[in-house]
Amino acid sequence: MKKKLTLALVLLLATGMLFAQGAQEQGAQPSGPIELTFWSLFTGGDGEFFDAMIKEFNASQNEIVMRNDMVKFDNYYTKLTTALSAKTAPDVVVVHQGNLLNYVPSGSLLPLDGYVDKSMLEDFQEAPLEACRFDGKLYSLPFDVHPIVMYYNKDILKAAGITTIPSTAEEFTKAAKQVKDKTGKWGMAIDNTTGTYKAYTLTRLFMSMMAQQGGSLLSDDTKKANFNNAYGEKALTWLKDLVNKDKVNPNELDYDAAMNMFKLGDAAFYFNGVWATGTLENVEGLNFGAAPLPAFMGKSAAWAGSHTLAIPVQKNQDPKKVAAAIKFIDWMTSHGELWAKAGHIPTRKSVTRKAEYKALPYRADYGAAAAFALPTPRTAAWEEIYGTMSDMLEKAVTKNQDTKSALSEMEKTINAIIATY
Amino acid sequence: MVQDLLRCRSEPNVLQGYPMIPGNKDKRDGILFSLPYLAVFTLFMIYPLLFGFFISFFKWDILSTAKFVGLKNYTDLFKDAKFYSSLWHTLQFVLITTPILLMMGFAMALAVTGKSPLKGVMETVFFVPYIFSMTVVATLWAWLMQKDFGIFNQVLVSMGAGRVSWLTNEKYAMWSVSLATFWWTAGFNMVLFSAGIKQIPQEIYESAHMDGARPWQVLTHITIPLISSTTVLCLILQVIASFNVFGQVYVMTGGGPSGSTRVLIQYIYETGFRYYKMGYSAAMSYVLFFIILLVSVVQYLTLGRKKD
Repeated sequence: MKKKLTLALVLLLATGMLFAQGAQEQGAQPSGPIELTFWSLFTGGDGEFFDAMIKEFNASQNEIVMRNDMVKFDNYYTKLTTALSAKTAPDVVVVHQGNLLNYVPSGSLLPLDGYVDKSMLEDFQEAPLEACRFDGKLYSLPFDVHPIVMYYNKDILKAAGITTIPSTAEEFTKAAKQVKDKTGKWGMAIDNTTGTYKAYTLTRLFMSMMAQQGGSLLSDDTKKANFNNAYGEKALTWLKDLVNKDKVNPNELDYDAAMNMFKLGDAAFYFNGVWATGTLENVEGLNFGAAPLPAFMGKSAAWAGSHTLAIPVQKNQDPKKVAAAIKFIDWMTSHGELWAKAGHIPTRKSVTRKAEYKALPYRADYGAAAAFALPTPRTAAWEEIYGTMSDMLEKAVTKNQDTKSALSEMEKTINAIIATY
Repeated sequence: MVQDLLRCRSEPNVLQGYPMIPGNKDKRDGILFSLPYLAVFTLFMIYPLLFGFFISFFKWDILSTAKFVGLKNYTDLFKDAKFYSSLWHTLQFVLITTPILLMMGFAMALAVTGKSPLKGVMETVFFVPYIFSMTVVATLWAWLMQKDFGIFNQVLVSMGAGRVSWLTNEKYAMWSVSLATFWWTAGFNMVLFSAGIKQIPQEIYESAHMDGARPWQVLTHITIPLISSTTVLCLILQVIASFNVFGQVYVMTGGGPSGSTRVLIQYIYETGFRYYKMGYSAAMSYVLFFIILLVSVVQYLTLGRKKD
């Protein structure tokens, strides 16, 4: 008897497991708001601002309800790739512009041309929007542009007697030396070592300086490296000399240390993406300014990433959900002044005209940078090129390698990488 | 009762399905109870193992259809300088951590099985780091060792010494990561060794003491030889674990500086999940698997098969 009772209980418990999936199925509501799902990769400060925007979107209308699921950034693209291949991705996803090329050729993202009306398209800034077009078709809409910009410590510059912000590379070296002589502080804080974060800043600056001289990191067809030339030499030599010859930038400086150095008021000029604004403005007593990346070597050009919003292809694409998703994207991009609180630059022209946006400190100062944002080279090899160049530039700068041989070694390695794709 | 069971164990009949308790169908029940686990094991371990080997002969980026390329992934990896440098970095880690972790574990086990009144406290203190997750340990040590603001260097500077580039100099980085690993995992070896030490019968120690043996002689002539099977086990496990290093290096140095601590598993991970070269990544992971298998088999054959 006891055995039969035990058996019955065990069976009951076991069958209980069969209902575990049942909770997710909510009764289909024929009339009611359309429910959309979204995967967000925004964490920390970014995450808070984004969630606030979604709350406001849901509150502002009652046709569409957006459910936001945050995925830890490190796992985001793995999760997204597997979901896209199984066609179980959510209704709207964030994809960095640089990663779009991994998803477009396989037809995982819905081309949006037929779904977006002309007036909305015309309101987008040209450069970020073009970056979302592949073979003439539009695969996502840009939500923000986050270029690398310059932050400067106003107190240090005053103490060093610097009244105008330098613009050329030579002027920067001179100003940094002046800062060091007059105040003893570091002139520049460009991170050049991988710590918990990779030393991407060097590559971003190198890329930007190539474009500023009229060159480009890769050839136009992205099949070959294009930096082993006079442009590359000028850019790398300047970056190297700041650390080794002029000694105005610390050596073996990692991303966290560079940020903290600027926060503590120990560095005059700091270069990082716009996402740093939020952290910096919370530092008490830090009197700083922000500006677009200077045209060190001639023209204006700055590496920029861009968060874009895309609609995955589903097994059964529901046209109502696609329309709802477009409405969501429209609302989010046209309320870019809320996202700009996180430091990012909005992509809709109408937003830049809003008073609330213009009143935001610092952001309005570098908003113009969106116009000369450098798009990521369009090659599936980009992630590997980006990472490898960071390693090699790191070595060249911290070890003060000979410029010509460092560049030719980089060129050989990058060409070998491109050949494997 | 105990004698009966012991006799059952040594009797050959039991191995041929002779039920331990007459009347029960132990074999059938045993298989039924194992089935759920075996089903999950096959689905999540065996199938991926076989699929991984299968996909290593293809070029596949997860989203497109896989393209058969035969042995190309394998021939490519043998020509890939980054594969060799990553394998070398893994090997460095194995060579640094294996002897030290074994000795640390043994020393801790001696302390904890000795006569000290503090041995309970010591056992806890030595083992607790092992229960922390890798991310917690690695993030903590990364900040302790941070060159400009970490507390190690702050202490050094206050004592008049210079700042040490724990994680930002390629000569020290792997040693620094190893140091964090010692703190984190030595406790596990301690547990293995103390179990081995506790199995040595007390009579042997007592008779050695009566013969006037000094502590060092007891250690080298009794303790160490009698735990040789534990030592071999620990060695094999430690080598396998060290070959699989990834987490703490990735979090503490990101493979830097300049990729000088990038271990093979990091390269495998980046190739598969950042560059979407799944087939190539799978091929590299199978080469690593065979290397570890070879090393373990050689260890077992030369050291393990002795009089037990």
